[in-house]
Amino acid sequence: MSERVINILVTSFPRILGQGILVTIPLTVLSFALALVIAVICAMIQIADVKGLKQLVRFYIWIIRGTPLLVQLYLVYFGLPDLGIMLPAFPCAVAVFALNEGAYCAETVRAAIEAVPKGQMEAGYCVGMSYVQIMRRIVLPQAFRTAFPPLSNSLISMVKDTSLAANITVMEMFMETQRVAGRTYEHLALYSEVAVIYLLFCTVITWLQRMGERKLSSMNGGDVIHA
Amino acid sequence: MLEVSGLRKAFDGAEILKGVDLSIDRGDVLAVLGPSGGGKTTLLRCLNFLEQADAGVMTFLGERMDMSAMSRRDIAAYRRHTAFVFQNFNLFSNKTALQNVTEGLIVARKMPRGEAEDRAIAALDRVGLADKKDAYPSHLSGGQQQRVAIARAVAGQPDVIFLDEPTSALDPELIGGVLDVIQSLAEDGMTMIVVTHEIGFARRVSTRVLFMEEGRALACQETAAFFEEQKLERIRMFLRSLNRKDDGI
Ligand SMILES: Nc1ncnc2c1ncn2[C@@H]1O[C@H](COP(=O)(O)OP(=O)(O)OP(=O)(O)O)[C@@H](O)[C@H]1O
Ligand SMILES: [Mg+2]
Repeated sequence: MSERVINILVTSFPRILGQGILVTIPLTVLSFALALVIAVICAMIQIADVKGLKQLVRFYIWIIRGTPLLVQLYLVYFGLPDLGIMLPAFPCAVAVFALNEGAYCAETVRAAIEAVPKGQMEAGYCVGMSYVQIMRRIVLPQAFRTAFPPLSNSLISMVKDTSLAANITVMEMFMETQRVAGRTYEHLALYSEVAVIYLLFCTVITWLQRMGERKLSSMNGGDVIHA
Repeated sequence: MLEVSGLRKAFDGAEILKGVDLSIDRGDVLAVLGPSGGGKTTLLRCLNFLEQADAGVMTFLGERMDMSAMSRRDIAAYRRHTAFVFQNFNLFSNKTALQNVTEGLIVARKMPRGEAEDRAIAALDRVGLADKKDAYPSHLSGGQQQRVAIARAVAGQPDVIFLDEPTSALDPELIGGVLDVIQSLAEDGMTMIVVTHEIGFARRVSTRVLFMEEGRALACQETAAFFEEQKLERIRMFLRSLNRKDDGI
């Protein structure tokens, strides 16, 4: 490797990592937190069989899962202004990622809630608890344990998918890399560099997932099912 | 204390309970016997409103209720006086033994934690499991889980406990311990309705017997009369077939 390449890598590293910390991570964390809220609400609506709303949720999941994420980003960022709805790039990306991931996680959460044996609910009723109390204290904690590994997977996917936000002018890690590459033409070196940073982020999440699983398993009596 | 008449329940058009009557007084232990599929579990579930009956009138502690038209609030009020023990225990798997017992007291009855824990430890002690209070259900044997479930039932100080085949999911060597606990409750005057296939236990512990077959109560009478002076040929046949099984065929 020439000295020039090394120089470029060294000077670009803090800038790319900086955008990662300042943009990619907040974008992921915000979007994923919202996605979880959407997912739990959608799952509860489907399980409690709320009339009308249930059809709406099915429709939303159908649309989101049947269209590409990139197309959704373009639709909202470049398409909606035609209707007079103009959002800045970052909130727009958060909204699209949250809605997109929310649809997938809704299915994960629903499956996890449905996997909790019906007897747990009945035992709760028999000791006098209400539906909401049983859901909150008995069913959801058990479902969360089941959903934790697949949700961690979704989070890892999302970290990488945020690179798509570069397409709608969000200045995250990948866009920063593209800019440096555009100026220096060191594509191989720079894209390798950003790949390593993504890998680093995902490794940290995997590591956190392990710790989380161990914690959850010790809080639940130890018979956690490893996915 | 608890009287039911004309209890009916159908699933998908198939009538499972075809007008069942029963009555028990305080301190009674009613054993529900009968062949498999006769509707015993369905009866018990209707009595605690885990299933909504299609028809039936219940008089409980002097209050008359239409079993097919209970509001959620009525059911919640009724369940403050009852407890249910399931065939497969149904302990809350994310809670320790102690928490399983305190959960209903603290969350549903708003009892202060300290008081609930004292009561729970007393209940666990009574089933011989005070030393397992911090164990999760997955770390307990079936027999221990069922005893915790009984402690959970007792801790609410119910007027009546419903038990659906409390020992039939257990390995043979664990059955005795659970039956002993139930017997000690009976000796202390706890009112219970127990579905069971343990004939010896029914004979020893119950005060009355209800015999269910094909959705009907063929008999509801004093235990001694049921076993010693049984008039119905059908029931005598059922008892004979069980005796034969006990003889090891
Ligand atoms: N939720 C349900 N939906 C449809 N059919 C049901 C349902 N629950 C019970 N049944 C039917 O009702 C009949 C009586 O069942 P039930 O479980 O009450 O019998 P049981 O006397 O408790 O039998 P066992 O001794 O085997 O436990 C069975 O034929 C069963 O298939
Ligand atoms: Mg049964």
